[in-house]
Amino acid sequence: MKIGAPKESARGEARVALTPESAQHIQKLGHECLIEAGAGEAAGFSDAAYRDAGVSVVDGADALWRDAEVVIKVREPSDDEVKQLHEGQTLITFFWPAQNEALLEACKAQGATVVAMDMVPRISRAQKMDALSSMANIAGYRAVIEAGNNFGRFFTGQVTAAGKVPPAKVLVVGAGVAGLAAIGTATSLGAVVRAFDVRPEVSEQIESMGAEFLFLEFDESQDGSESGGYAAPSSPEFREKQLECFREQAPDVDIVITTALIPGKPAPKLWLEDMVAAMKPGSVIIDLAAEKGGNCDLTKPDERVVSDNGVVVVGYTDFPSRMATQASLLYATNIRHMLTDLTPEKDGVINHNMDDDVIRGATVAHQGEITFPPPPPKVKAIGAAPPKKKEKEPTPEEKKAAEHAAFKAQTKRQAGLLAIGGALMLLLGQVAPVSFMQHFIVFVLACFIGFQVIWNVSHSLHTPLMAVTNAISGIIILGAILQIGTSSVIVGILAAISVLIATINIVGGFLVTRRMLAMFQKS
Amino acid sequence: MLGQGFVSAAAIAASVLFILSLGGLSNQEKAKRAVWYGIVGMAVAVFFTAFGPGIGGYWWLIPMMIIGAAIGVYLAKKVEMTEMPQLVAALHSFVGLAAVFVAWSADLERRRVMAAQAADGAMQEFSAFAALVATKAPDELMFLQIEVVLGIFIGAVTFTGSVIAFGKLAGKVDGKPKQLPGGHMLNAGAAALSLLLAIMYLNGAGFWTLILLAALAFFIGYHLIMGIGGADMPVVVSMLNSYSGWAAAAIGFTLSNDLLIVTGALVGSSGAILSYIMCKAMNRNFISVILGGFGGTQGPAAEIEGEQVAIDANGVASALNDADSVIIVPGYGMAVAQAQTAVSDLVRKLRAAGKEVRFGIHPVAGRLPGHMNVLLAEAKVPYDIVLEMDEINDDFATTDVVIVIGSNDIVNPAAEEDPNSPIAGMPVLKVWEAKQVFICKRGQGTGYSGIENPLFFKENSRMFYGDARDSINSLLPMVE
Repeated sequence: MKIGAPKESARGEARVALTPESAQHIQKLGHECLIEAGAGEAAGFSDAAYRDAGVSVVDGADALWRDAEVVIKVREPSDDEVKQLHEGQTLITFFWPAQNEALLEACKAQGATVVAMDMVPRISRAQKMDALSSMANIAGYRAVIEAGNNFGRFFTGQVTAAGKVPPAKVLVVGAGVAGLAAIGTATSLGAVVRAFDVRPEVSEQIESMGAEFLFLEFDESQDGSESGGYAAPSSPEFREKQLECFREQAPDVDIVITTALIPGKPAPKLWLEDMVAAMKPGSVIIDLAAEKGGNCDLTKPDERVVSDNGVVVVGYTDFPSRMATQASLLYATNIRHMLTDLTPEKDGVINHNMDDDVIRGATVAHQGEITFPPPPPKVKAIGAAPPKKKEKEPTPEEKKAAEHAAFKAQTKRQAGLLAIGGALMLLLGQVAPVSFMQHFIVFVLACFIGFQVIWNVSHSLHTPLMAVTNAISGIIILGAILQIGTSSVIVGILAAISVLIATINIVGGFLVTRRMLAMFQKS
Repeated sequence: MLGQGFVSAAAIAASVLFILSLGGLSNQEKAKRAVWYGIVGMAVAVFFTAFGPGIGGYWWLIPMMIIGAAIGVYLAKKVEMTEMPQLVAALHSFVGLAAVFVAWSADLERRRVMAAQAADGAMQEFSAFAALVATKAPDELMFLQIEVVLGIFIGAVTFTGSVIAFGKLAGKVDGKPKQLPGGHMLNAGAAALSLLLAIMYLNGAGFWTLILLAALAFFIGYHLIMGIGGADMPVVVSMLNSYSGWAAAAIGFTLSNDLLIVTGALVGSSGAILSYIMCKAMNRNFISVILGGFGGTQGPAAEIEGEQVAIDANGVASALNDADSVIIVPGYGMAVAQAQTAVSDLVRKLRAAGKEVRFGIHPVAGRLPGHMNVLLAEAKVPYDIVLEMDEINDDFATTDVVIVIGSNDIVNPAAEEDPNSPIAGMPVLKVWEAKQVFICKRGQGTGYSGIENPLFFKENSRMFYGDARDSINSLLPMVE
């Protein structure tokens, strides 16, 4: 089959759906590749490079649309392009079928099969063709770079001879692929990053990227894994809570990157005018949702606006296109994987298997029928992870109160023990002879010292401790020594045996301890 | 002959040295010096007491000490590090027996002195301890008798208890808890009878009461420890350690010797603290450990689903080669299989390959407090990669491979997950949080405590059956 990539007709679109690298892989599937002359120019791929990779370079879009049996593109087709579609032709591209119903209708009328790259279901098997994620990844990275471009200070904190520079504080709203990519980029530039998402289960991912998760105290939290990893609209109460949290953050943060999107809906307004007003002059807002109306009140799609208080609001919608080379490489690979799935025999014949979950999900028009929306996939998107419950941090007052109570309880217990001990001593003193009490004082003090000293012994030395105490307890030999000089024979014999075994104990105990301790080595 | 002043000064010096010796065990480097404090303290104490006033019988004393020292040296040289628990238990029994003998002697001396005083009513020349007894007032003698009773009782329990603990640890006595019919009632009966005998003795009954008392205490010690399972041995050994100290302290009272009292108290409290730490590490009540057997369960243990999946050395080796971080959790099984040297070789290879290798030691791993540390030290594993449970427990989640060698209950997730488990609430090493867990084990079956371990059935667990030493050795050539 002939796979052809035309030059993108949309204004400012620099990406291309076929790269020399992906062309080589596609040819291995038994296909032939075509490209419109100059299609890769803007992304840094010359016609010569394509030719070297075995791609036929075709002059003019008309010839390409006529010859190619499968057309691969980045943006949805323009009206002119739709007219060139013909029966049996397959179009693989970003299509946004929910927003472009008329366009879909027109394609169907032309008898073409349309595979929408944005409709690839989010299951593990299809990750290699998940072009939305690849583009979002780039957008997230580029958003930080764009923010840095518009931000007048360093990201990382520094202490220099010319003064101290505080680190930039970045707030990322929405921790999808773009949000996580932005977090990763910003943290590696040295910024202090905080992130928010309505799905509490992503907190782990956020923290793993090195950002702090802003946790909202709210019962009704979403389980995003139910909806294929995407966020759903939230209740008004939740929204209020959320805005309150942002309002708190606004004066503190330097850079805000908003990525909140809800599939098939306009972007939710999360960064309101008063929050922009509360920000410091020179702060930057990058609105990655600008194409869908923007998360920020001030966002104007494709424009960079400066608010009255000097906050820059960037609403570009073409972040992936601004990194056309990288974006094309990734997108072309996604397309290539889609073609691999469409060519299971690797014989250059497209087998449009509508029983395959991934192909079925992505196909929006086929054999003169509109096949959108697809039935839910058989495989569940992401294993539903139970949201992690965060333990409530006690407030300083509570902590103090708890500490105070613990201290009081301890004092009470100690005082009680002392009182009981004192009373017992008093009783004992009444009956015991003076000489006994003197020894008893020594005994009690020794117990105390023993307790104090032993608590400090490290766990790993417990065996040597036992051996040493063992050796020391051989001190019982003194008892035998004191008695051995007797004139009684029986006592003498008993004492002698005691001396013998106590000596074994002392010598054996100490030697074995020394042997053990000599073995402990540092690395 | 040295004067009394010398003896007292020596006692003070020895006490201080003993305290320093125990305090020095707070870290490995200081510990090497600390032993010397103990040795010097003991030498000072023995020398000055032996050559103090009123001591005789050197023709007994010196040969006995030389023979004892020779035996001690021989034992210390010969013992394998894996046999440490047995040795410690055996040495405890000596202290117990000596305490019984000394207490008996003390009473014999007392009788002799009393008889002589009653006979001629005048002061007579006595030697050694008898001279001291002769100066005592009647109420002091009464207390002396109480102390003798205590010394005999504690000493006797320590003696037979240690002998049985030694037998169990050395494998000469079956490690399973065993009790005569009647169980704890028998112990209680014997204790009550002992009390009766003690009262009779205090009221002037003959020396036979003390012999009978010792016999009863011997029985209690034997029966008590027989009823305790092998897994609880760390507590038992430290408890006996404590008893031997208290026995020494009781004798110290009898003989009015402060050095004995101080040392006995130090040893006694040390053993008590160790027992406490061990019990806490098993989340068990001290009383229930001593009385033997696990506490009653509240319901049926949770059913375990899944199956134990075996793996061969190849699989383990390739997982180790892929891993960046490895934690090894050794248990008594490592000691039994003498696998510590093989483990050490494996660790050296893995570390040479730039992997992070650490050990996680549960406080009650092995049969003696700190048992695993000593074994690993013997195999030349640096002590700074050997970590305690609290230090390492949070790191399992970020670890690639955990190798469990011959431990069972201390890595049992049932302790945390199943409230009906007999070990519910016991702190355990959370090995199952790691990406992969390999369990080196002789075969299927439960450990000492007889509790099924759900860890073996977890999805990320693989059973690596075989003798621990052979298994680890077979890994060595395959690990780069």
